[in-house]
Amino acid sequence: MSSVIPTVIRVGARPAQLDALGTYFNGESAEAKSVTLHIDECAKALVIKWDGGKVNWLLAQIQLVPDQADQDQLLMANQIHPLARLITDEKLIALRCPNLHRSVVQVNKWRILTWALAAVMAVALIIFVLVPRIADNLADLMPPNGEQALGAATLGHIRGALDQSGTGLSFCTHEAGRNVLNNLTVRLTPGQSLPGLLTVHVLNHDMVNAFALPGGQIVVFRGLIEVAETPEELVAVIAHEIGHVVSRDPTRHALRSAGSIGVLGLLFGDFAGGALLLFLAEQLIEARYSQTAETEADSFAHQILIQIHVSPASLGDMFQRFLQKYGEDEGVMSHFVSHPEMIERIEAARAAVPTNFQPRDLLEVSEWRALKNICS
Amino acid sequence: MIVEDITETGVDECDLHGSSSDHSEVHSNDSSATLGTLPGEFVGRRWRVFWMAFKFGIYTILTLGFYRFWMKTRLRRWYWSSVRFGGHPFEYVGDPLEKLLGFLIAVVILAFYICVVNLALMFASFSLFQGDFPAYLLSFLGVVPLWLFAAYRARRYVLARTRWRGIRFSLDPGAWGYVYRALWHWTLTLVSFGVLWPRKTFWLEKYKTDRTSFGSAPLEQHGCWRILFIPFLQVLIPAMCGVALIIWIGETGHFQGVEIGLSCILLFWFGFGVVHYQVQAKRRLTELKSVGEASLTINPSVTVVLRIYILGYGLSGITALIILVPILVIAFSTLDLVDVNLRLYPEISAVLSTWGLTVIGIASYFGLFLMWSALTHAFVTMPLWRHYASVCELRDTETFSVVTQRPRDAFQEAEGFAEALDVGAGI
Repeated sequence: MSSVIPTVIRVGARPAQLDALGTYFNGESAEAKSVTLHIDECAKALVIKWDGGKVNWLLAQIQLVPDQADQDQLLMANQIHPLARLITDEKLIALRCPNLHRSVVQVNKWRILTWALAAVMAVALIIFVLVPRIADNLADLMPPNGEQALGAATLGHIRGALDQSGTGLSFCTHEAGRNVLNNLTVRLTPGQSLPGLLTVHVLNHDMVNAFALPGGQIVVFRGLIEVAETPEELVAVIAHEIGHVVSRDPTRHALRSAGSIGVLGLLFGDFAGGALLLFLAEQLIEARYSQTAETEADSFAHQILIQIHVSPASLGDMFQRFLQKYGEDEGVMSHFVSHPEMIERIEAARAAVPTNFQPRDLLEVSEWRALKNICS
Repeated sequence: MIVEDITETGVDECDLHGSSSDHSEVHSNDSSATLGTLPGEFVGRRWRVFWMAFKFGIYTILTLGFYRFWMKTRLRRWYWSSVRFGGHPFEYVGDPLEKLLGFLIAVVILAFYICVVNLALMFASFSLFQGDFPAYLLSFLGVVPLWLFAAYRARRYVLARTRWRGIRFSLDPGAWGYVYRALWHWTLTLVSFGVLWPRKTFWLEKYKTDRTSFGSAPLEQHGCWRILFIPFLQVLIPAMCGVALIIWIGETGHFQGVEIGLSCILLFWFGFGVVHYQVQAKRRLTELKSVGEASLTINPSVTVVLRIYILGYGLSGITALIILVPILVIAFSTLDLVDVNLRLYPEISAVLSTWGLTVIGIASYFGLFLMWSALTHAFVTMPLWRHYASVCELRDTETFSVVTQRPRDAFQEAEGFAEALDVGAGI
């Protein structure tokens, strides 16, 4: 094409005049117009000329369309005629256009701000008000067998997740130990209005932890039994978990996550770290609820321990062991465990001991030994 | 009722060979045909898109996902501008901010729905059925219409923001019509054990194509669904043989040399069949489309597409696996399960504190996503686009110069629903 009309280019910072070729689309029809280009220095404009017509684009109004695959040519647009396009391989034109990279905002920023606020409020309202309210109400309405099924499903997930072999973590069911544990469970629940049966499982895993599941299922890990130095310490933890069962915390928790996971998934769905962020957000939200739930379960445990003549301070002793166990490790766990709340909870447990309190021995030495060997 | 509605335009203009042979005959005798024929080409370079995807991926991670609207926009600009007919590139004019706005609108609307429905289903499922399976099933089924709705709306948005030679494309409103037709065709496909899959492919493609326009020139899908049936046999036959084999194995309990060999052959055949169908369906459907008075020809090669899939996903997969190794080590060690393994390498566990491990774990977790996305862009998406664009031709385009502009489709929610529901439409 350049053989038809010669291109004269003066190379330099300010080429005085430019004759170049291009293709022009006026944005009204799909006709591709072959055009010549030159710069009108007086008008500070690019003159786009074709057979039987021309148009002037002010240099200051010319913009480059970004992210084009073909870097040997320019795709140019005009602020005033947003539909028109000019394609040329004469890249020197770019030197003369001062506002090539100024972006045109097509969307009203206030609208975005308004909707962003609305979205944040909606999600916050749902996660912090709506979901907990509904979860609380539904938890009380849920029939016992429904709760049991929910608990069984969760227990199944946990057993599967913690076990490498894929068959699921095994329960510890040594008979003598089981009997002691069953007796203890009965003694811990005198006249409590429980939402159904209470079962305490021991899972064969060395994690030092225990938790409550929906439907009155409490899970104690072997690691916890091994770390406990007295039966009172172990019982204190179980009493704490019973506190959760009585207030139906696990059921609420399960329903809360069912409600909020989907909503958070909307926010973080389709990008690389989405799943990770989703998990962290879930944890943060749960931490907010768990603090009050933990404190309530603690005071429940204090009362029940006093009833069976065990010092509430045993709960504090057990927490102390958590601190010793994980506090030495450098790592994520220690950050959570050595949280100031843990110290407060230990102090609260010690403060809960009534004056002139006379503790009695909970188990015979032989019974304690049987319980310790429940996983053998 | 639905059937009538769907087949209302179903004038039987079936050409079972699927190619527009009548068109090509006309052209081979017409010396002026080349004037109106615009060959397709793809001018994008592989490493540019690799670096774009990699860089934008990093920005996305650093902005907790917010850059993804910009990433999508910028990659689309690049892909669109890579495709040219007769030297004229396509242009994508979507705005990242309108995507953000659309996403926010979708979040506000969907959040209430999703939370209430999920909670109610979870409760009902455990109270009535003592299990979570009904809840998952129902919430999946409940989201399917929304998902189809979002897919159509996203297509409408993308077409409304696509221009060629300065002229906008458009897709007419009709998302709910698409939803109920898609549900109907999916039901038929499921009820017929997949035999009617090509019927679904054809009618959904026709629904979308017949509502698409390039400026004042409407697109139209000609042909009938049976043109897709012959290529579909390559999927159907191995699938049926596979079912027969499974029944045979179940009955006899034999699963040895012959059976293993047969299942491998059937599996490869099935995989080949799926790609073959995908390519052939695209070819037959494209050749029976018209844009105003212009028509399209396309001649994609199954071998090339198959090679792109195998090499592209193979390369991306191997790279991902290499990056995955540190993640697995971290995952096991935080679960306390790797004690045994780390004891074998005390020097490693001594050097790497738990914090170090965490950092490496997170870095390789993100590295995995970044590399996967960048590599699949460079070795799968881009080569596929290049192949399809370079074997495509627009014919009889003499009338294109009278195609006029159409008004802007404001479409404020953009592809927000698709974004929120992860209908990820490729790019």
